Amino acid sequence: MAIYALRKLAFFLGAVFVASLAIFILIRAAGGNVAAIVLGKDATAEAINALAHAYGLDQPLPVQYFNWITNMLHGDLGQSFRTKESVADLVTARLSVSVPLALSGLLLGLIIAIPVGTYAARNVGKPSGAVLALISQIGIAVPVFWAGILLSVLFGVKLGWLPTGGWVDWRESPIGAIRSLVLPVLSLGLIMAAVLIRYVRSAVLDVMNQDYVRTARAVGMTRTQALLQVGLRNAALPIVTIVGLQIAELIGGTVIIEMVFSLPGLSRMILANVAAREVIVVQSTVMLIIIFVIFVNFVVDLLYGVLDPRVRNAA
Amino acid sequence: MQSKGKFGQRLGAIAAAAIMLAAFGGAEAMAASPRAAENKVVLIARQDPGTLDYVTSGLTALRLWIPANVVEPLVYFNKDGSVEPGVAESWTISDDKLTYEFKIRKTNFSDGTPVTVEDVIYSLNTMKASPVVNNSSAYNAVTAIEKVDDSTVKVTLSQPSQNFWRGMGSVAGLIQPEHAAGSIATNPIGTGPYVLKSYTTNSTFEFEANPNYWGTKPAITAATVRIVTDGTAGLNALEAGEVDAVPVITIDLWEQLTKRELDKKFTLVTYPQIGEPTYAVFNQKLDPELRQALAETLDRQSYNDAFGAAWGAENTCTFALPNQPWYSPESADSCPYPYNYEDAMAKAAKWASTPLEYASLSDVPDLSLPADIMIPAMQGAGFNVTRNAIDLARYSQLIFQGRPPQFDITVMSGDAEPTQWACPSPDKAGWSTYCSAEYTKALSDADAAPSDEEYLAKMKEAADILRKDAVIVPLIAKKGVGLFDAELKGFLEPRVLVAIEIGKLHW
Repeated sequence: MAIYALRKLAFFLGAVFVASLAIFILIRAAGGNVAAIVLGKDATAEAINALAHAYGLDQPLPVQYFNWITNMLHGDLGQSFRTKESVADLVTARLSVSVPLALSGLLLGLIIAIPVGTYAARNVGKPSGAVLALISQIGIAVPVFWAGILLSVLFGVKLGWLPTGGWVDWRESPIGAIRSLVLPVLSLGLIMAAVLIRYVRSAVLDVMNQDYVRTARAVGMTRTQALLQVGLRNAALPIVTIVGLQIAELIGGTVIIEMVFSLPGLSRMILANVAAREVIVVQSTVMLIIIFVIFVNFVVDLLYGVLDPRVRNAA
Repeated sequence: MQSKGKFGQRLGAIAAAAIMLAAFGGAEAMAASPRAAENKVVLIARQDPGTLDYVTSGLTALRLWIPANVVEPLVYFNKDGSVEPGVAESWTISDDKLTYEFKIRKTNFSDGTPVTVEDVIYSLNTMKASPVVNNSSAYNAVTAIEKVDDSTVKVTLSQPSQNFWRGMGSVAGLIQPEHAAGSIATNPIGTGPYVLKSYTTNSTFEFEANPNYWGTKPAITAATVRIVTDGTAGLNALEAGEVDAVPVITIDLWEQLTKRELDKKFTLVTYPQIGEPTYAVFNQKLDPELRQALAETLDRQSYNDAFGAAWGAENTCTFALPNQPWYSPESADSCPYPYNYEDAMAKAAKWASTPLEYASLSDVPDLSLPADIMIPAMQGAGFNVTRNAIDLARYSQLIFQGRPPQFDITVMSGDAEPTQWACPSPDKAGWSTYCSAEYTKALSDADAAPSDEEYLAKMKEAADILRKDAVIVPLIAKKGVGLFDAELKGFLEPRVLVAIEIGKLHW
């Protein structure tokens, strides 16, 4: 297991390095200059160049990359060109929106998907199972922004039960913050549940057809007992995999939700800073997210090793 | 059990019916804003400026909220042309219009520190050196900014300058304390009726009444400006009663505004100050005959129709907003190359082998929609036009920053002064490529005009030169459009460039 873990760790570090290079090159390949955007279309070329010099954007690219990585390794994520705010502060402030949103969305998705997916698998071939499969298929086809707009119009504009958008800070009013999150979490969670239901259903169906479940039933267990006591551990493997992938998906999913509901979250901050070519803010923030996502996959790999001895022995 | 199940089913059906009724029912009566009793307002902004440093940023998203509310200019110019005191409580102008003396008001900045002559001199010098042309161009004729005594600042000009005097009532004349300049990007300080309590990018501005304000206390004691980039979400919030006004509704939402009948539920205001001229730009390197033939493909009415709300825009051939005295709507006199598609088709044959690149901003609806009309019209007439759709950052690099800019044709929208096209020599041409000694001289003469009448005459002359050169070809003049809660009164057309003055509003 130790060798397996070390190999996965080496892969994790290698992936982080490659990602840092990719981010650095891509944001520059996109073109544009924060100085030109800040100054607007009426600025002279001299003024743009002077501001770009003040921002250090005229230094050779290897120097810029080296400075950025060195600072990152020392815990300095840099600061915004436009406002001089520290990137660490910018990210921290937005995590209070993004983390509850993403985690609640995922949790809601799982709370719905696990029982419904299992039920759909157990009732495969019956009308109720078919209806659930159909609903999940429709859910997958619905874009998350559309779900968000519909929920906002229904519960915000028409019924007036919840805010259509906007954000109330936790320090100002925890209830207000929760109210701000209800519709975004519902949008995210319902769409995620639709995706997860399919995977849970498939995983459970697979397990139910395995020999060891038949054997368990042959020795007198009911279908539910066999599923819970023998099948669950095996069905967990693909579900853990897909949850890991969904966490990465969440980063993209929250961009749209944060836009639709005007939430000042991490994804929206990144999008705005990409548009403004705030290279340091984008590089450092995306790097943090990539490290997080790769780390989640690293943990998933380790869980694989723990859950299934064949995986760690084969590695 | 059975009866319980039926009861549950009935309850579910009733709940579902109630939701459907509420969701798709008719329009409800508008209730009074819950903020009215507290004298508060919640407004919506469509764009996040990203920085509040108005010295180095000319973004409209910033200028809408900080000038006049937080940071004040030396003077205010009213709609009728009259001038009111700002940070300067009085002023004298020498007969030759070369010396201005400003008597500085005895008051405090919102952080409690007194306004000093040194702060005023610092602010004016900072704006003189601003990289934003609209700010610095007001100071072109300024030769000295000096302290006379502890309450008087003297500005000396090399020649009379209309731009300087008007600039003192605009962003170029904003006064800030020198000691707080380091935090201007997130926390600008001034003498205005409000203090900016917090600014969270992509989220909110929070304003509170300034306890040190020198003028009449504003009726609105606190204002939240929610930054909602999604236009539909902004209108939803207004309709749901969560906000009290959307003071600037961009052109892409006009059709939705009328279709949802929001103009009947709320007070619709239109005002030219926050409007923008939309204009085609033909690279000056193109043959003048080609530019003129391209201009003849521009059917201004079709652009206006495309936005679906004629009350919000006028067809024009003048680069100006309708509140400028030298503005004139589209007419036989004001359009030297009027829409004439057949003539354009006839001329296009000569240019059919000349490839033309149309640089199109892909992520700005106000500009991609005109491009959607313009490009097929030009292609249909026989011009060899290829669309190059690019995002704002890339557009900034290729066109605003690149010298020479890489485009043949583009469309642009902006509220800047006609002075932006002034150009001392062709190698100093800006992003538009336009450079005309004749136009620049007319503007310079207008600036130096000793009277308003002569200023107006010269500005009209400059406008005429610009339109005949067919490089900057105006299409429509959009007005500012806003929706306000019917109970929210006191909206004032912007005095400081494009600023929305919260202090004038009241319930």
